[in-house]
Amino acid sequence: MTAPMLEVRDLTLRFGSITAFEDLSFDVARGELFAVIGPNGAGKTSLFNVLSRAYVPTAGSVRFEGADLLRLRVSALAGAGVARTFQNLGLFGELTTLENVLIGRHHLMRSGTLRSGLWLGYARREERRHRAAAMEALEFAGIAQYAHAPIGTLPFGIQKRVEIARALAMEPKLMLLDEPVAGMSVAEREEITALVRRLHRERDLTLLLVEHDMGMVMRIAQRVLVLDFGRIIAVGTPAEVQRDERVIRAYLGEEIDPGPAERSPEAGRVAEVRR
Amino acid sequence: MTAPIQLLFQGFALGCIYALVALGFTVVYRASNVINFAQGSMLLVGAYLVSVLATGLNLPFVLAVIAAIALLAAGGAAFQMTVLRRMLGQPVFVLVMVTIGLSIVIDAAIPAIFGGNARILGDPWGASAVSVGGVTLNWVRIWTVLCTGLILALYFVFDRYSRYGLAMRATAADEEAALAVGVPVGRVYALTWAIAGGVAAVGGLFLAGFPSSVNPALGDAALRAFPAIILGGLASPPGAVVGGITIGIVQVMSSGYAPAWLGTNFSDVAPYVVMILVLLCRPYGLFGAAPVERV
Amino acid sequence: MTRLASPRRRFSGKGAAVLAVAILAIVLPFGLDAFQLTTATFVLIAAIGALGLNVLTGYTGQISLGHAFFLAVGAYTAAVLGGNLHLTAAIWLPAAGVVAALCGALVGPTALRLRGLYLAIVTIGLVFIGQHIWFNVPGISGGPGGRSFPPVTFGPFDFAPGQQLTLGGLVIDHNGLYYYLALIILAAAMLFVWNVARGRPGRAMQAVREREVAAAIMGVSLARTKMSAFVVSSFLTGVSGALFASYLSFATPDQWNLLLSVKYVAAIIVGGIGTVWGAVLGAIVIFALPAVLQSLIPESSSSGLPIDDIASIAYGGLIIVFFVLEPRGVVGLGGRVASLWSRVGAGGGVSQEAQTIDRSEATWAR
Repeated sequence: MTAPMLEVRDLTLRFGSITAFEDLSFDVARGELFAVIGPNGAGKTSLFNVLSRAYVPTAGSVRFEGADLLRLRVSALAGAGVARTFQNLGLFGELTTLENVLIGRHHLMRSGTLRSGLWLGYARREERRHRAAAMEALEFAGIAQYAHAPIGTLPFGIQKRVEIARALAMEPKLMLLDEPVAGMSVAEREEITALVRRLHRERDLTLLLVEHDMGMVMRIAQRVLVLDFGRIIAVGTPAEVQRDERVIRAYLGEEIDPGPAERSPEAGRVAEVRR
Repeated sequence: MTAPIQLLFQGFALGCIYALVALGFTVVYRASNVINFAQGSMLLVGAYLVSVLATGLNLPFVLAVIAAIALLAAGGAAFQMTVLRRMLGQPVFVLVMVTIGLSIVIDAAIPAIFGGNARILGDPWGASAVSVGGVTLNWVRIWTVLCTGLILALYFVFDRYSRYGLAMRATAADEEAALAVGVPVGRVYALTWAIAGGVAAVGGLFLAGFPSSVNPALGDAALRAFPAIILGGLASPPGAVVGGITIGIVQVMSSGYAPAWLGTNFSDVAPYVVMILVLLCRPYGLFGAAPVERV
Repeated sequence: MTRLASPRRRFSGKGAAVLAVAILAIVLPFGLDAFQLTTATFVLIAAIGALGLNVLTGYTGQISLGHAFFLAVGAYTAAVLGGNLHLTAAIWLPAAGVVAALCGALVGPTALRLRGLYLAIVTIGLVFIGQHIWFNVPGISGGPGGRSFPPVTFGPFDFAPGQQLTLGGLVIDHNGLYYYLALIILAAAMLFVWNVARGRPGRAMQAVREREVAAAIMGVSLARTKMSAFVVSSFLTGVSGALFASYLSFATPDQWNLLLSVKYVAAIIVGGIGTVWGAVLGAIVIFALPAVLQSLIPESSSSGLPIDDIASIAYGGLIIVFFVLEPRGVVGLGGRVASLWSRVGAGGGVSQEAQTIDRSEATWAR
């Protein structure tokens, strides 16, 4: 049994008196497609922000390939093999698509200011090599034709794919996908879902996915973790989680006993759905 | 031992002027995140307005001051309505650059129109002073402190208890939400700039008081209020006051007590040195807090 | 085999334009009178400094009003090495850049702790503290009265006024010598910065400008990127300051003031932030402005007018106008014209997918 790629233990994040999440413990196995779902405000994106070192957790530990992730500086994540996409896009507005993806290659390149400024052979060759790699990532995502378009001119759906291409170009071991289909039409959802599935199958990657869209998650995830109010309420395969009582309650709520409403003169009062 | 107390009083009065500048600045910043680099230049305009109205048009001094406040407040609001409002949706950096442009225009237009020579302010106090326990208190400075106190009190009441004060706080907290609940955001912005203008008029006139005079170099003097603003933390009106007074006292005390190796006229740069030292320990000023960055 | 749509192909039209500009720049001095040539030389020297500021503020987004400080450092380094120690320009010109770069490296770390306005005001403080220092070190700066600065000398050949160089049938005078020296340095600087901008470090700088946190998550070291920006920027600025003082031949400490910094900021804004040509175009507009104004106003009435103040009003006005209407400066205007042109011509460019985002789609979100 190989060691898990990601081991999270008792992870807690509090902002003053507000708890984003508490005592989260779970493992992600190497090569898994692992999804984290939960209603709005459950703490999913905060979890991602802790994993990508944007927030410092209040307590707990995260081990990535056995090493302490929480000791890494933010800019060391890429070198360690962690990549992430952003729900509301972390693209660099004034750059072209290709240049955005090339930022993903930054940690794999060595040319500094002097070598680049003098445009020495080393810098030239390196630039060519990595542009080719970046184009490959764009082709994998099916958007190579937008390589030289300024990113701000592209539709939201294409930009989301650029995010994924950029994360892929980083040659990570672990990819964190933050709501990759949020805000997309049905057709776009299909495309992104297929892209993520291909990523998982064709590349040697472990994927950790945060999503709202149950359909997508249930179709492609191997294991699912359900968060509600910052706590884990279920972990398991999609089928197991779908049948879990607590998960159903968290998403649908319960009906109130409709007795008193029937007896009341105001018939037709709708039964509230509440937790 | 009256010298240090004397200097303390002068520093306090200067600090009150800086506090006024900082207040005008903070009001605009809190509401709209715009950094008004022209705040210092507006003081310059204020001083010249009072001077022109009082000595050029020979209005009674009080009337000149009131008119200057009204004119500068109207000017500030007009600038917001004609220039800044067109730039809705632009990143803040762009609006800040426009205020820099405004400050350049003002700082150059004043000497272009009035020449580089000093003017008389036309105030009734001149060099007159009252002696209290061996310490000479110039009337100008006494009035500075009194008026600053009055303005701060008025602002506090306005901010806490009036409808528009509440509207300003709402807009500062969340512009979109304020719009959604019907706050007249456009009017609020114009109002913040009007306050900035009015406060600048008062600050300017006192800055030009004895022993100074109304001349273009006042603009530079007003620039020293920026360390005060930074010290207090950008978005905190009480911080602005504390920062202002601190810097004023630092500046005047250093003019009296700075060792020779720091150079002549060290007091001119003392505010900046202090500011840099403070920022090294507390990057967001004494009262500011790091903004939470949402990813 | 990946087919790379090489961006180099797009440059061929631009390449011809650059060549044309280069030829124009080379022959220009022969068509100008002394006053115009002097102005043009100052413009080229300022463009080097503007390029430096563009690296720091334009590409990396670090707001700096401290440019006057670094110009002064370069100038006084030149004064000491060239004027006091009588070294050749081959030493003091690069040394001016190096010393300024060292100062930039010292200031750089503050940019790591401070953001936006705080950084801007610290840089304002830098100018004032700098001026205070210059006023108080008469051995270096000549005190409030100022000092003279050495002309450029390469061994026995110096660029002092009255000097002439004869090449074939062409005579290049003192002004012309400075012009061509500045032109060569500017061209080299533009090439360097352009290479940096389109390579790895330039992308990193722009990423830092756009979204620091995301850039860091992508693996960009904020510290190294900002430090590089400060060092490169200050180096170019130091060289510019040294050349400026040398050509001016005399300067006082109060010339290295806030307005000077603001002129450079105005230049990169008006020209176009974050572009190589923007720095040059902006320098042309801002630093030729007083001369242009002077030539527009008839001889008889110009003596009484405060030209500098009017020029300043014009700078401020230009900044306001540009930012209200065209935040991308002249380069942006050029871009708008170019895209209008291409729309009128063949329908090139990327075909845009229709916006099919349907945000009303229900999901499991509450």
